[in-house]
Amino acid sequence: MSDTIKRRDFLKGAITGTGIGVLGAMGAYSYSGARKALFSKTERKMTDIGTCRSVKVTNISETSWFDNQTLVGDIKGAGGLLVDQYSYNWAPFGNGNGLGKGSYADGIAKIKQYLPHDLDKAWEIAQENSVNPDNAGGYSCLLEVEELDGNKRKFLLDSGWSYKWMDECFKREGIDKMLENREIEALFISHEHFDHYWGLPVTLKYDPTITIYIPEGFYPEGKQYIKDSGHTGKLIEVKNGLCKQIPGMASYVFPIPIICRVYGEQSLYFNIKDKGLVSVTGCCHQGIIRFAETAYNEIKYENDQCHGIYGGLHISPFDDWDPKYDDLVISLERYGFERIGCNHCTGVLCAKKFISQGYPVIEGTARFRSKDKAYLGNGDTITFG
Amino acid sequence: MERFGEHYLEERKLVKRWSGPIPALVSLLLTLTVFYATWWIFQDPRGIMRMYTPYSGYMYCRWWLIMMIWMVYLFDFWPFKRKWLETTHPLVKGAVLTLISVAILLILVKGFFEGFLGNYGLAYFNPEQLEKLDGITSFFAAEYSALAILMFAAIASWLSPAWVVAMENAPWHKMPQPARGFSILTITFFLSTIVYFVTMHPHMGILYHPWQYFTSIAPPYWEKFADTVSGNFHVSWIMCCTVVVWLVETIWERYPFNLIKNDWLRRFATFFGIILIALAMHFFLYFAQELTWGEAIRGTRRAFSPDWRWLHVGEMAIFFLVPALFLSFYCDNWPKKFSMPVNVATRTIVCLVAAVVLYIAYYKTSHLFLGTQKGFSHPQQFPMIPTIWLINIWLAHHWFMDNWPAWKMVPKTAHEIEADRNAAQAQIDDIRFTPKFVTGMGAGLAMGVLFYVVTVRALPALYEIIDIIPKN
Repeated sequence: MSDTIKRRDFLKGAITGTGIGVLGAMGAYSYSGARKALFSKTERKMTDIGTCRSVKVTNISETSWFDNQTLVGDIKGAGGLLVDQYSYNWAPFGNGNGLGKGSYADGIAKIKQYLPHDLDKAWEIAQENSVNPDNAGGYSCLLEVEELDGNKRKFLLDSGWSYKWMDECFKREGIDKMLENREIEALFISHEHFDHYWGLPVTLKYDPTITIYIPEGFYPEGKQYIKDSGHTGKLIEVKNGLCKQIPGMASYVFPIPIICRVYGEQSLYFNIKDKGLVSVTGCCHQGIIRFAETAYNEIKYENDQCHGIYGGLHISPFDDWDPKYDDLVISLERYGFERIGCNHCTGVLCAKKFISQGYPVIEGTARFRSKDKAYLGNGDTITFG
Repeated sequence: MERFGEHYLEERKLVKRWSGPIPALVSLLLTLTVFYATWWIFQDPRGIMRMYTPYSGYMYCRWWLIMMIWMVYLFDFWPFKRKWLETTHPLVKGAVLTLISVAILLILVKGFFEGFLGNYGLAYFNPEQLEKLDGITSFFAAEYSALAILMFAAIASWLSPAWVVAMENAPWHKMPQPARGFSILTITFFLSTIVYFVTMHPHMGILYHPWQYFTSIAPPYWEKFADTVSGNFHVSWIMCCTVVVWLVETIWERYPFNLIKNDWLRRFATFFGIILIALAMHFFLYFAQELTWGEAIRGTRRAFSPDWRWLHVGEMAIFFLVPALFLSFYCDNWPKKFSMPVNVATRTIVCLVAAVVLYIAYYKTSHLFLGTQKGFSHPQQFPMIPTIWLINIWLAHHWFMDNWPAWKMVPKTAHEIEADRNAAQAQIDDIRFTPKFVTGMGAGLAMGVLFYVVTVRALPALYEIIDIIPKN
């Protein structure tokens, strides 16, 4: 056998062996316990955001829509969860062309002249041109933060959806007066979704000068809506990551894709003196556990304890289910939350699973069109601290 | 005896109409145009039918793939006669065969799964049955049902071609069509049913509250091992099996399994070898995510949740299949001039590089033109759908239309067929287990392990360099 043939045989064997060696190592090591030695250890940043004495949350509205079947039917009819929310032809951006054929430009052109001073007229026009306008509700809550010196500061998280419904809710909880009196310092928009954001003119009706914080990732239509709604105050686009607001309060923007062509969510952290961390969310599309893990990695908080949570936890907003949600229900125990004030897109089904699991879910009163006492409903309050 | 399309694909000679890479580029342009037009018509959330919900569109996409595999690989184009396949214009052939594949697909989905199984066996195959349950909206009823039906397709898209590629149609390989096709269809459907029941049925059983303890194992048996109760753990390795079957069939030319002389040993080694390679891929691609994004956290959503990580393993695997099929269908499985191991290794490296480039390009840009969600991990971001949709179009183009118009089909002469078989056998005979080959293999094993170690060590740094989309 010549040297050339021997070399060729060696090469063929070496190439074959390399393939087997790579595949063998991939199979044997990649999911073994030994692999964990290669994971990088995350250093906790322990950013100091200060402390506050307490935070009280008033649920202005958690009923973003009143009937799941109607909302999901619209989504299905328009082409599913990925369709651009401005094209569904939902109020207030209806153009009269029917489901799935709307656009921001057409819709806003019909109502812009009435924003934000004549919302009754704007909504009346929207009702005529939109798909299922009476199913619209909204999500919004009032946050009252008590500083260590006893000073109280107020903020709004989100502004709901239906002008009509949100105006009623604002009046019911006295938010209209607080805004008129400039008692509320700022409006934090959690994300661009219709049910959290499209009711913006209702806030601006009572205080067009209010400072607005939006998360990075808004689409052009969303940014234009702020201008078209008559906002004259300061607009702050919060970059991804942690942003300290006042002592004991910080916002955090998560760069995440969300259904109906929305990107990015802003949530709030509070560090309550002697109690621990409280997390307040709009929809928590980033997931409650990632929210808690992010706090653990980024923030220094009292007793290293996750004390409480409030808001939509985005688990089964349409009372749908997936085994991954069971992963959450099973795993939440690890985080030791002492008070869970959930509602909205958490889903009634999930709240009931939490209760079955023995978690400290604060029950509500099921008033003002909230569906079930399993979670905090419209008009209910919860105080942490 | 009529041969229908038996060995049609091997016995056709595709003659390039133009020299160099022009036919491949023309075909790429043509198929991408068809892809985009059909994507807009059927799938795109901004388009006409908007089936990318995502599961509804995915279900049809996966079953269309299976239909073509059944028609071509299991039934050898039966009942179409060989003469018709050889003389009919590719456009007519493509239209007829595609329409038939779609018709069978609709009968199977609507008639067999939704109508028969969904009404007389398992309610979750039929959206209307699910809607009778309290609180389930019509949208999610349709999605749950589509998920169950498409998972059956995912399993079948591994087992159906595996029986042809690995088991070489045995023990029915000497049987004429359609008896052979029906035999293989029966065994692969039967095996798919068994795999479905022990992988996806427990997933479906915990979709409802309370868990359906009386009909499915809950929590599923894989919970501790996979760190999730989700069936995505199985989606992952099953997708890898599907990809590996086609790698073995195309760019690997069944190497090294084709070195085994004993028929039954070779068949079983190939069948189970595919599974073992797929499992290696399954574990490695999960590990790669841990190395780049960090350890998964059970219960969280999106990119950090184990269930999505397993799903993404399958998604990553598909990115590898796309260049492999392109190389095979439109580049005549380049290169062919070296020994089989060198050819196979070269193609594998080319496809790996192309897969990484495609992956980066997809996640950087797909949301701009496919109507999908920006980012990696949104539940409605399903790269398997556009990639398999493109693969379907390539299969229809390559199998049904003989790569028209850039190639012309000419039946090979008996002499050419014989020469091809001899050449293929010579390639296999060229591999001899000489002492040098064995020494080389030993050295190669060590190099392979070393290559793995270096890759694993380098991955985090490499990922940091390539900023696909903003990380958090």
